[in-house]
Amino acid sequence: MDYSDTATRISLNVKAKGHEADPVKIAGKLRRLVEEFGVPPAEAERSVVNELAREFSLNGLGTPGGEEKNLNALLPGEWTTVEAKVVSLTTTPSPAIAQSGILADSTGAIRFVVWAKANAPRLEDGKWYRFESAVVDEYRGSINLKIHSGTVIREISRDTILAPAVTPIADLIPGIGSVKAKVIQEWDVTHDRMLQNGLLADQSGTVRFVIWKEEGKERLTPGTVYSLYYAMVDEYSGRYSLNLNSATVVPEEGDIPVISGDSRFAGALVHIAPGSGLIKRCPVEGCNRVLSRQNYCPVHEIQPGFLYDLRIKGWLDDGKVTREILIQREVTEQLTGMSMEQAKELAENNPLGMDEVFLRFRDRILGRYLICSGREIDSRMLVNSCEPLRFDPEETAALLNRAGGPS
Amino acid sequence: MAAMARGGFSRRDFEREPARRVFAGEIRESRIHFREGDDEKSPTYVLLPTGERCNRVFLVGTLTEKKKQGDQNLFYRARVIDPTGTFFVMAGSYQPEAMQQIARIEPPAFVAVVGKPNVYETPDGAVLVSVRCESVTPVDKDTRDRWVIDCAKATLDRIDALGTTPDGERAVQEYRTDPALFRKLVYEALSQLSL
Repeated sequence: MDYSDTATRISLNVKAKGHEADPVKIAGKLRRLVEEFGVPPAEAERSVVNELAREFSLNGLGTPGGEEKNLNALLPGEWTTVEAKVVSLTTTPSPAIAQSGILADSTGAIRFVVWAKANAPRLEDGKWYRFESAVVDEYRGSINLKIHSGTVIREISRDTILAPAVTPIADLIPGIGSVKAKVIQEWDVTHDRMLQNGLLADQSGTVRFVIWKEEGKERLTPGTVYSLYYAMVDEYSGRYSLNLNSATVVPEEGDIPVISGDSRFAGALVHIAPGSGLIKRCPVEGCNRVLSRQNYCPVHEIQPGFLYDLRIKGWLDDGKVTREILIQREVTEQLTGMSMEQAKELAENNPLGMDEVFLRFRDRILGRYLICSGREIDSRMLVNSCEPLRFDPEETAALLNRAGGPS
Repeated sequence: MAAMARGGFSRRDFEREPARRVFAGEIRESRIHFREGDDEKSPTYVLLPTGERCNRVFLVGTLTEKKKQGDQNLFYRARVIDPTGTFFVMAGSYQPEAMQQIARIEPPAFVAVVGKPNVYETPDGAVLVSVRCESVTPVDKDTRDRWVIDCAKATLDRIDALGTTPDGERAVQEYRTDPALFRKLVYEALSQLSL
């Protein structure tokens, strides 16, 4: 075994504190401890360093950069030394950050950040490094490793093949996660820089995913199963979201069972909100905002070439909780029995105009029992199917029993 | 922070009060009402004898009578019957939609009512509970029957949980609620459904 690397590093550390220590002597001590006395290398290093620190009355020397640890054992706030592989590099959000990405070892994965001020060598994707004196930090509920000017980085050679553990979606926690999941929904992008967003599912649950526009990033195909290694798990307003820009995406053959991304809710429709019924939308590409009565779009001003749409915004209530629902055109047509064409005709030939459509909708469905299913966004349900709930005489008998007879 | 990033207003800050299912025979017995918090806009609640606070109700029954009252401040009073008794329903100028809806209804008719219960005392000392409506919509008999089932279930759930929550304890203390009485009420309501 060669101790010169470690010895040189230790001697440089000592030198940084203004003292001289001969690397050859240090290497000799290390060899003696390890080979003659069977001390583990990390422990040998610690004892040599401690000895030097005593000799020169240094405080800060200690074991360089804290205890060596596996990635899954890191705790926020500690200084540490890790050996890990760069499994992903991500675009850096700020000029203060030179590099960011994901490190992994056989026990887990963690995000890392290299400060621009650290003057660190550029890390390369796919290579192993030893990081001494890095700081474990916590940001938005997930821990990460900060590489600063005091961190010593050395490339090491390892041929360990990392097999990241796949986590059921329901068990994801903020940080880094790998899942095997199916793309079950694709949603409209809500941002210029967004390439794709939608919903992933496995048997345990569903999670939103997002891919930001970046060179070499491709969209996922809806209905396809993927293994997604080292995705970033973020939390937004109580929900998790997988950022796949860091992930290694591997399409899988075949299909997997998934739970439905839809939730169901039954109750009485207790309110229909203004803005329900026949509405006009802004025709400008990608806008789609609802226009005011004067055909005014808050962004694109007067739009005489508006597009009609039908929808119902309301509250469904089961007596214990009440939930906001948004019913889009097709389901609205089916539920109210009024097609969009009929609604347009009604609005155009009636003195009340579009209000007439609202009033008819109200008379047909307000106060009725409905069962809706759809996906949940920002605590509002986007309904994709909705049925009236009918009276079921069978329930009466069971409830009569529960009430305990006429006595 | 999260709320700021999403435009300074978080939808989660606002929770709409659920509409409780209560039989006329129970709401008639309610006396206790209170305001949660000191703010003028804080919600007010009626404490039900079966131990749940109630800011809003959903009920379905037969509108049998309606009466227009007042000159300057026009309002409607109506009676809505369920298998256990009568709800006193009203809609004033602050509920123009409900008022217009009532105006168009020809009694008798099945109606679904969403509204806020109020407890008040008459000059001669009697306590009355009325429902100030947000909407009164004509519905069919099937919806009425569905409501009786729904309301029976909700009432039995409340009876089962009576005394296990702070509101439930308070109800037991203030009303000396006899669960058997309300079970009987539920039983009678269900018995009137055509089997």
